[in-house]
Amino acid sequence: MNPTKIFLGAFLVNNILLMRFIALCSFFGVSTSINTSVGMSAAVIFVTLLAAWVSWVLYHALLAPLGLVFLRTAVFILVIAGLVQFVELFLKRYVRALYSAMGIYLPLITTNCAILAVTFLNIDYGYNLLQSTIYALGVAAGYALAIILFAAIRERLEDSPISQSFRGYPIAFVGASLISLAFLGFASLFGITL
Amino acid sequence: MSVPPRPSRLRYLTSGIVKENPVLILMIGLCPTLATSTTTSDALGMSAAVAFVLIGSNVVISLVRRFVQPEIRIPIFIIIISTFVTIIDYALQAYQPSLYRVLGVFVPLIVVNCIILGRAEAFAYGHGVFDSLLDGIGNSLGFALMVVVMGVIREFTASGSILGKALTPAFYRQAPMLFLLMPPGAFFLIGILKALVNRFGIGKG
Amino acid sequence: MVVSLVITCLVAALALAQVYAVTREKIETQRVEATRRSLAEVLPGAGDFEPAVPDSVWLGTDPAGTRVGAVIRVARQGYGGPVPVFVGVDTAGRITGLRVASAAEGLRETPGLGLKALEPRFQDQFRGRTAADLRLEKDGGTLDAITAATITSRAVTEGVRAGMEKYAGYLKP
Repeated sequence: MNPTKIFLGAFLVNNILLMRFIALCSFFGVSTSINTSVGMSAAVIFVTLLAAWVSWVLYHALLAPLGLVFLRTAVFILVIAGLVQFVELFLKRYVRALYSAMGIYLPLITTNCAILAVTFLNIDYGYNLLQSTIYALGVAAGYALAIILFAAIRERLEDSPISQSFRGYPIAFVGASLISLAFLGFASLFGITL
Repeated sequence: MSVPPRPSRLRYLTSGIVKENPVLILMIGLCPTLATSTTTSDALGMSAAVAFVLIGSNVVISLVRRFVQPEIRIPIFIIIISTFVTIIDYALQAYQPSLYRVLGVFVPLIVVNCIILGRAEAFAYGHGVFDSLLDGIGNSLGFALMVVVMGVIREFTASGSILGKALTPAFYRQAPMLFLLMPPGAFFLIGILKALVNRFGIGKG
Repeated sequence: MVVSLVITCLVAALALAQVYAVTREKIETQRVEATRRSLAEVLPGAGDFEPAVPDSVWLGTDPAGTRVGAVIRVARQGYGGPVPVFVGVDTAGRITGLRVASAAEGLRETPGLGLKALEPRFQDQFRGRTAADLRLEKDGGTLDAITAATITSRAVTEGVRAGMEKYAGYLKP
């Protein structure tokens, strides 16, 4: 499959957050300010890539040949949890600046549905390593785009007069609904179907 | 050790249904709620799968909690939860294949469902087996309530039927309102529901 | 600490191996049954299906043993993977039935637009046509696309035409 289509599909047409509903917990929790969103996005892109590679290799080199496909769920989530731990320790020791910038987001990423979803979908779609990389990048970039856009809107909402019942989550959901509506317009971009 | 009076035990069961409903009050477990509430039957199917994993893992984690040191509790939780998820994954594949493919990637995603990991950490690790069972049932019911309500609303507006049974005149069913079925609509619906909850002061806080 | 971790892993792995062993056969049976049902639906009259090209072409024979036609499975790439279509063709090269696989059979779409490809109104148009006749109105032909889902309609149309041309050899008795 055409790499551009894989990327654009993941980035826009089937945006993981706004069209596929994956990673919503972090979406609403972290998007209260643009800064935290950018920090989270960076961490997500980084971990998603690593997780995609490690899980792909583990699956094709170990699980599948040994007939241990049924251990896939457990192995993938443990890989992600382990990677997150490892990255956190590594940053803490060697790249202090980066650690203080995005360190707090790392533990949250373990339960980020998008990363686990990417590891699974790479297998289900039958992607090779290169396609998996592109797909992982597309999904993570799509996550970043959606969450940063959303944070910008939420920051503006902070100062707007919103009726009591809608303050906080409800108006955020309505905002997400509108962005999602906009993204629906990407359907069939360059021939990529929903 | 004195046994708490009955009413307080019951609270473990009921708080997860409305007062501390995981989805609408605590705002966790949103992904599967929005994604699998497109029809009533999908919602029911997903609720059943989540209930299986939540109750199972709550009970097992509570059973083994004395042998699990705090430092490694998260990996142990993950292993236990993913075991239950894999079980329901294969069980669905074998005995309910059409439901399995509709739920798709959301079945394995149950393993990172904030509700399950959240209850394990917040409750099962520190409470007895029976109480954890109650907590698991309560939260499963709370999740089910949300997903099914949304499922009914979305299916009804988008295809004029519930559980496949047509409930509206034919002219509506030929050109129904698709908005709530599609992603933007799902966000919108849960926003309205949450606003309603706020308006009527339901839930804690 | 390590001990509890190892024990948990072992118990989990053993439990899962058991579950896998128990369900494996049933899962395989499901898969085969599902395929058979799809094949029978698009090539009425055929009782037996023999795979000619793995996962792509099945030759259908009626209970008496005469060749009724063939079923071709095409899957033109959409976004989230291929859009699987089963098309039944009789020995004269005419389409007897067409079926876009549903979500329950691997169609990976978000609900709403993508699933409109399942509309009978769209699929029924194909019946009776030959490979030469398969083009959307928008592309100069006579097939009506699904409203607001031109790309999906095109994927199905082009995929079927390409498949029929590619496996034309199997269509002759």
